[in-house]
Amino acid sequence: MSAISNAQPLLSRVKARDGRATFSVAAREAFFIAVEALRAHKLRSFLTLLGVVIATTTLIVVMSVINGMNLYIADHIANLGANVFILDRFNWANTSDEEWIKEQRRNKLIRTEDYEFLKDNLQGYKAIGAEAYYGRNSAPPIRYRGHTMYDVGITGETPSMMGIEQQEVGSGRYFTEAEYQHSAMVCFIGTDVVNQFFPNSDPLDKIIQIGGQPFRVVGVAQTIGKTLGQSQDNFVQIPLTTFQKLYASRPGIDIDVQANNADQMMELEDETRALMRARHHIPYKESDDFGINASATIMGLWQQLTGSIFAITIAIVAVFMVVGGIVIMNIMLASVTERTHEIGIRKSLGARRRDILLQFVIESGVMAGVGGLLGIALSVIVAKLVDMVFTASVPVSAVLVGLSLSTIVGLFFGIYPATKAARLDPIEALRTEA
Amino acid sequence: MGSQTLTSPALEYYTPPDGCLIRVEDLWKTYDMGGAIQVNALSGVSFDIHRGEYVAIMGPSGSGKSTLMNLIGCLDTPTRGRYWLNSRLVSELTDDELAYIRNKEIGFVFQTFNLLSRASALHNVELPLIYNGTPAAERLERAQDALRRVDLAERMHHKPNELSGGQRQRVAVARALVNNPSLLLADEPTGNLDSATGEEIMNLFDRLQAAGNTIVLVTHEHDIAARAHRIISVRDGKVARDEQVR
Repeated sequence: MSAISNAQPLLSRVKARDGRATFSVAAREAFFIAVEALRAHKLRSFLTLLGVVIATTTLIVVMSVINGMNLYIADHIANLGANVFILDRFNWANTSDEEWIKEQRRNKLIRTEDYEFLKDNLQGYKAIGAEAYYGRNSAPPIRYRGHTMYDVGITGETPSMMGIEQQEVGSGRYFTEAEYQHSAMVCFIGTDVVNQFFPNSDPLDKIIQIGGQPFRVVGVAQTIGKTLGQSQDNFVQIPLTTFQKLYASRPGIDIDVQANNADQMMELEDETRALMRARHHIPYKESDDFGINASATIMGLWQQLTGSIFAITIAIVAVFMVVGGIVIMNIMLASVTERTHEIGIRKSLGARRRDILLQFVIESGVMAGVGGLLGIALSVIVAKLVDMVFTASVPVSAVLVGLSLSTIVGLFFGIYPATKAARLDPIEALRTEA
Repeated sequence: MGSQTLTSPALEYYTPPDGCLIRVEDLWKTYDMGGAIQVNALSGVSFDIHRGEYVAIMGPSGSGKSTLMNLIGCLDTPTRGRYWLNSRLVSELTDDELAYIRNKEIGFVFQTFNLLSRASALHNVELPLIYNGTPAAERLERAQDALRRVDLAERMHHKPNELSGGQRQRVAVARALVNNPSLLLADEPTGNLDSATGEEIMNLFDRLQAAGNTIVLVTHEHDIAARAHRIISVRDGKVARDEQVR
């Protein structure tokens, strides 16, 4: 009984010392010790932190690139226009090679007749259009007074495409239904072409040569900008009928259908599918021999892709972090040995086990946190560079994740060395030469 | 075994003795040297030290005086026996409780100063206050005050390697005093100092004792021990002589 009367008040006073005030005072002291230790051994600390720096940089850069591409997707798949789906020869969301090869063999080209058929038989759509295109790499060159441009995308469009695609007329006009009907030699150009051919003059009503054929410029599109490092203003659009007359070797088109609202999308897609299957005489059990692609399809494909990139990144970052953490643990063990005398002094002055534990865990955490900060700085630079040629945008969440992850790694790998330090016998520790 | 017989010895066992700051009762410290070999560093030491006393513990190396100092300083626990410090039985406390006692009740002055080399004099003096959670403003005030008491106020921002040996030891004394401990425990405080500086430190101890501090001095030098009022001589782990010299 009286044993307790002796020990109890002391015990409760020791506990009272554990109050928040004591903790914050001790934690602040530990923080300053940590910063001081880092300053005293700059090179050693930097080398120690390399693993954590690289891990944090990798994590943030990959997150930034994915984020940048997501922003692109959000901005420019929306380029499709609201509530639009595209009937194409292929299903874009196909990820298996087998499916792809099968589609190559089996799927028929979508042709102008299909467009006319859908235009007449599909019910309730807001707009329907069609386009054919020459990829930038294979398109014929365009010329104006001795200037030549090679990699300009050439597309043939129905006039209705202006409302469906998210592009705006900057000056002049889009081509008319009459020009479409009569395969007129008119074109609607992007601002890259304007900058190249007409830097100081009005392009309207000028004649440019497309694949050797003269076309009159009737309109200029508003500037769209770059996505994924590629200019989106590097194009020439001509009436689809003209395109097919000139480039008979490219009879394939795709058909864009715009619904009145999001709710109507499914209904219209189903109806289109039924019409096309009937037209292609597809038996009940067979799959489609065409693709109906909506932004949902593209997003699905996209998420699959980023998902696997992200999984690989997490695995790599985890390996880096563990290696970085072990290096930190190693240096902390060395630090404990080096500072045994200091630990003895602190203990003789009344530092308890948890004070010493806290000191070394915080030191380890601060060290790794500094590594995280370096990683963040480095990744911001790398992301800026990547953004020049591709796309990257550092999300705040990536910075927070990078910083907290590296700090947690430091705290975790600091526990073992700190426990060793805390368990040192004060007499033995004091006896160790400084 | 009635409750009567159980209570009364226990009461006696734990009742702190009156009037004295330190009571050591039949203190043993035994080290296992591996196998069945055991060495008694202390074999049954007993004495009392009263408040305000100035005591020197003397003995040649190997006499057990260092072990005794570690026990009095609450850096270690005895194998057997009891030790009261400031009315508290400290021989049965846990590590963390001993840390608390060291922080509150004991001020150490070591032969090798034991200052943190990377910290300023001021920060060294602040350390004991950090470990009892004293807020920063009060800490600064008390540390400056302690440095003033050892005449080092103008050197508080110097690091130990920028100070002379005597100044370093005075920083250590300031650090020992900063928590107003009930006991000042000095282990060969002049061992690393030349005789003039040693004299200076011993004068400081005289002043502190005159101001009411209890001082226990561990030394093997007779001149130093002679400054104390009482000398406890330790030999072969036992108290050989305990005499009042002043």
